[in-house]
Amino acid sequence: MNQRLNLPDWAGRAVACLFGSVVLAMMVGPQQGSQNDYGVGFRQAVLNPRIFYFLLIGVLVFFAITYQDVVRRYASRPGVRPLVAGLLVLLASYFLMRWYDPLGNNAKFAGLADAVASTSGLAPLAKAFFGWLWWVSLVVLVVGIFVAIARRLRALGWAMAGLAVVVGVVALVAHAAAADAGGGIDHSYGAPTALVGYLVLAGAGVLAARSRSETAATREFVERVMAFRPGLPLVLMGLLLGVLALVSATWFAPQQANATLVDTSSLFSGSDASGLSEAFLGWLGYVLFVVVLLAGAAAVWTRNRVVGYVAAGLAAVTILIVLVTLHDISATATEAGYPGADGPWRDLGTGGWLLSIAVFSIGAGAFVAARRAHRPAGADEARGTVTGRLHQAGASTTVLSLALFGIGLALFYPPTATTFWQQALVTDIGVYVLLAIGLNVVIGWAGLLDLGYIAFYALGSYTTAYLTGSLPVQPPSWLQLSPLWAIPVAIAVCLVAGVLLGAPTLRLRGDYLAIVTLGFGEIIRIVAVNNPGNITNGPRGVESAVPHPVIDLGFLRIQWGGNQLQYWYLLLVLLAILIFFFYRLEGSRLGRAWAAVREDEVAAQATGVNTTRVKLLAFAIGASTSGLAGVFFASDIGYFNPQNFILNNSILIVAYVVFGGMGSLTGAIAGAAVLTWLPNFLRDQVPSEDRVMWIGAVLVIMMIFRPQGLIPAKRREAELTGLAGHDPSVRPAVQAVPASEGV
Amino acid sequence: MSEQAGGSSVPGRTGSVLLDVQDLEVRYGAIAAIKGISFHVEQGEIVALLGANGAGKTTTQKTVSGMLRPAAGSITFDGQRIDGIPPHKLIDLGICHVPEGRHVFPRMTVEENLAMGAFRFRSPDQDVLAHVLDLFPRLKERYGQQSGTLSGGEQQMLAIGRALMGKPRLLLLDEPSMGLAPLIVQQIFDIVRSINADGVSILLVEQNARQALSLADRGYVLETGELVLAGSGRELLADDRIRAAYLGEELAS
Repeated sequence: MNQRLNLPDWAGRAVACLFGSVVLAMMVGPQQGSQNDYGVGFRQAVLNPRIFYFLLIGVLVFFAITYQDVVRRYASRPGVRPLVAGLLVLLASYFLMRWYDPLGNNAKFAGLADAVASTSGLAPLAKAFFGWLWWVSLVVLVVGIFVAIARRLRALGWAMAGLAVVVGVVALVAHAAAADAGGGIDHSYGAPTALVGYLVLAGAGVLAARSRSETAATREFVERVMAFRPGLPLVLMGLLLGVLALVSATWFAPQQANATLVDTSSLFSGSDASGLSEAFLGWLGYVLFVVVLLAGAAAVWTRNRVVGYVAAGLAAVTILIVLVTLHDISATATEAGYPGADGPWRDLGTGGWLLSIAVFSIGAGAFVAARRAHRPAGADEARGTVTGRLHQAGASTTVLSLALFGIGLALFYPPTATTFWQQALVTDIGVYVLLAIGLNVVIGWAGLLDLGYIAFYALGSYTTAYLTGSLPVQPPSWLQLSPLWAIPVAIAVCLVAGVLLGAPTLRLRGDYLAIVTLGFGEIIRIVAVNNPGNITNGPRGVESAVPHPVIDLGFLRIQWGGNQLQYWYLLLVLLAILIFFFYRLEGSRLGRAWAAVREDEVAAQATGVNTTRVKLLAFAIGASTSGLAGVFFASDIGYFNPQNFILNNSILIVAYVVFGGMGSLTGAIAGAAVLTWLPNFLRDQVPSEDRVMWIGAVLVIMMIFRPQGLIPAKRREAELTGLAGHDPSVRPAVQAVPASEGV
Repeated sequence: MSEQAGGSSVPGRTGSVLLDVQDLEVRYGAIAAIKGISFHVEQGEIVALLGANGAGKTTTQKTVSGMLRPAAGSITFDGQRIDGIPPHKLIDLGICHVPEGRHVFPRMTVEENLAMGAFRFRSPDQDVLAHVLDLFPRLKERYGQQSGTLSGGEQQMLAIGRALMGKPRLLLLDEPSMGLAPLIVQQIFDIVRSINADGVSILLVEQNARQALSLADRGYVLETGELVLAGSGRELLADDRIRAAYLGEELAS
C-alpha cells in the first residue's frame, strides 16, 4: 500500500523551481477573469514569450540551490553583498521608480526612454544612455565585478569601480538633459537613486580590489567603518544632501515656478520678507551650512565632547533659521498674491526640507561623536546586569546613527511628500506603528496572544467620539472635551477594559487566550453595529464628525485639521513618548518579569514573579496604547464606523509584529511601517486586485527565509548566534524559531 | 505535634521547627490528593518525601510553595501561617522552590537565569553568585550560553543554582534526579548535601529512595495521599517494606 512516488532529490527540486516560476509568471501581469472566462491570467502568463524568462529564472534558482556549496563559497566573498545591494537598487530605480514626472502614468524609466527615443536634438550621450548604454553598462558592471570578486582580479575591480562612478554620473547627466528637453517640472528620484546604486556597485568593485580576506565579514566591516570616526557617515550624508539642497533642489514651487535657492533669492530680494530670510536666501544659508559642516567635521575628527555639542547646537540653530525662512517666504508670497501661492508652509519645494535633513544629519553626526568621545572600550560591558547589557547592546554607534538619521527623515521628509503619501503616512503607517508597538508588549514581551487587540482601538475611538459629542448620546456638558483631553480618559477606559478582560482570562494559555480575545474583539464590534440604546449610531458610524484637536494657550493657538502634516507631528510626539517609555520598560524589572513569564511560567512563579500581575500589566499597557491610537484615529479621520474595527485588522497587527520580529521594539516599528507602506506602494506598481496577493507572497517568503522577523529581538538573535560574538559560519537565517514558539 | 519520628535526635541540629504541616488536605476538584498529612522540617534538616507515582509528593510540595491552596489543615513556616499565600510572597520569607522537570528559562543565558533567581532583590548578591558558581563549576563553564542548550543535568544544576540565588532558608527540591544519568544524580545529591551543610533546610521529593534516604536526616513515605511511614533516613533504609516497595529487593531473601 505504501507506494510513494520516489523522485530523486534533484527532480523534485527542479519541478518545484519550475512550478514556482510559472506561479511567478502568473503573478506578474493581468489576471482579471470574468464570469465566463477564468483563464485570462493563466493564458497571459503562459502564452506570452515571457514564460520563458520566468522559466529561466526557475532554472537559475534550481542550479543555485543544487550547487549551493559552490555558490555559497563565492557568495561569502567580500564585495558580493554590496554587489547584490547595488544591483537591487538599480533594478528598483529602473523598473519601479519614476524618472520624469510630467509623463504621468508613463513616468518610469521605460516611458522616459521611449520619449527620449522619439525626441530629436538630444545630446548623443543621453540618447545612447536611454537607448542601450544603461543595460549594457549594467550587465558589464555586474559581470565584471563578479569576475573581479571570484577571480580576485584587483585591476578589474578598480576598473569596474571607476566605470560604475562614470556610468552613475552619465545617468544623472542624461536624465538632466532629457528633463531639460522635456521642460516639465520634475521631482522624480529615479536618477539620483540610480547614482546611489552605481556608487554601491563602485563600492563592491573597491572591496573586490582591496580586500584580502576570504570571507566577507559585513558586520565587522560596518562596525569598523563606524568606529573609525563615529558620526562620520552622518556628516558625509549631510554634506551630500546639503549640496544637493543648496545647488539643485527647488526651494519655492507654486504652480509652474521651479525656483532653486538662487532663483528664490532673486525672487524675494526687495520683497516684504524679513531681512533674515533675505540674508538666508542670499548668503547666510551657504555660510551657515559651511559653518555647521566644518564644526561637525571638527567634532568628528577631534572626538571632542565640547566641540561635538557646540556643532549639534549650531545645527539646531541653523534648522530653526531654515524653518523661519521657509515660513517667511511662503507667507510673504501669499500676501503679495504671488500666483499659485496659497498660505504659509505651502508650495515649498524640497530644498528647505532637504537642507534641514542635511543639517540635522551633520548635527547628529557631531552628537554621536560627542557621545562616543573618549569612552574606553568595553566600558559598557563592565557595568549592569546581563539583561541591562543585552538591552544596551543595541545602542551601538551604527544603531544610534541609523536611529538619528531616521529621526531626521521623520521630521523633515514628510513635508516634501505628496498629499497621498502624507495621508498614508498618518492614517495607515503611523497609526499602525502605534498599534504595533503596543501589541508588541502583549505578544512579544509577555507572550500573550491577543487577537482582539483592535477592540481597544475601537473603545478608544468611541470614547473620543462620546466625549466630543459626536455620538447620539451626548455627554454631560462638563464632560464635553477636546480630543486631546480625551486621551487620558480613553487610556483609562482601555486600561480598565483591559484589566476586566484580562483578569478572568489570563489564566488561560496560548490558543485559549487567543480565542477569548478574538471573541472579545468581535463582541465590541458587533455591539457597535447593533447599537443598543442608540449609543453608537450603528453601522453608519458616528453621527457628526469628531472635531480636530485644538491647543489654545492664549498667546499660542494650534488648530489641527488643516492638513495631515499637523497630525503627523502630533503622532511623532506620541510615538516618541511611547517609544521612550517602552524602551525603558523593556530593560526594567517588569521587562525581566515579562521575559520570565514568556519563557516559562512555572519557573517565573518559582523565582518570585507575580505572574498574574505582570501579565495583567502587559495586557493593560497594550490596551491603553491601542486606546491612544483610537483617540488619534478618531480625531484625525473624523467619521468612522464599526467597519474600521474588523477582526482582519487585529490579525494584521499581529502579522506586523511577527513580521518585524516579535519582542523587538524597533522590529515592531519596522514591521508595521513596511507592511503598511507596501500596499500603498504597490498601488502604483501592480493591478489593484493583485495587491493582497503580493503582500501575501512577501509574508510567506519572509516567514520561510527569515522567521525571526526583520529586526529580531536581541534575545532571539542571541539564541541563534550567541551573545558573546558572531560566528560567521553560523547562518542564523536558516534556523527556524523553535517549534515551541507560542504564536 | 502529631508525629514523633526521629528528627530531634539527630546531632548537630538546632531542633527548632522551621516548617510545620498539620493535617494538610489538598483537593483537585472532587479528588482528594492529600488526605490529611502532618510532618515537619527542622532547622538545618534534609527531609525526604518518598512515594510512588501519584502518592501526592509533588502536590504536597506545591502546596508548601504556595502554588496550590490547601483544602484544610495548616502550614506554618517559622511560626507564621503561610497556607494560601501566593508563591511570589512566600519567596520573600525564604522558601525557594525548584519545580519538577527542570524549569529553566530556555532563551536566557545561564547568567540571566541566575539573575532571575535573585528577582526578589534589587540586584543579585555577588557573593551568593560566586558561591553558586563554586558549587556548580559546570555553570561557570556555560555562563554565557543559552540555558535551553544545556544538558539535562546542567539544567537541573541551573534550576537549583537559580533557587539558591534567592537566598532560601528552606529549599524545596522536586525530583532533582528525574531523568538523569546515575553519575549526574550522584553529583546532584552531593551538591544538595553541601547546600544543606551551609545551613539551608531542604524538603526533598524523590522517587530514588535509596539516594534520598541515604542523604536525608528523616524521611516520610506517602501512599495515595496518606503518610504510611516515617523515620530517620537510616531507619527507613533498613525498613523491610521500603526495601520491598522502593528498592526492588526481595523480602526475607
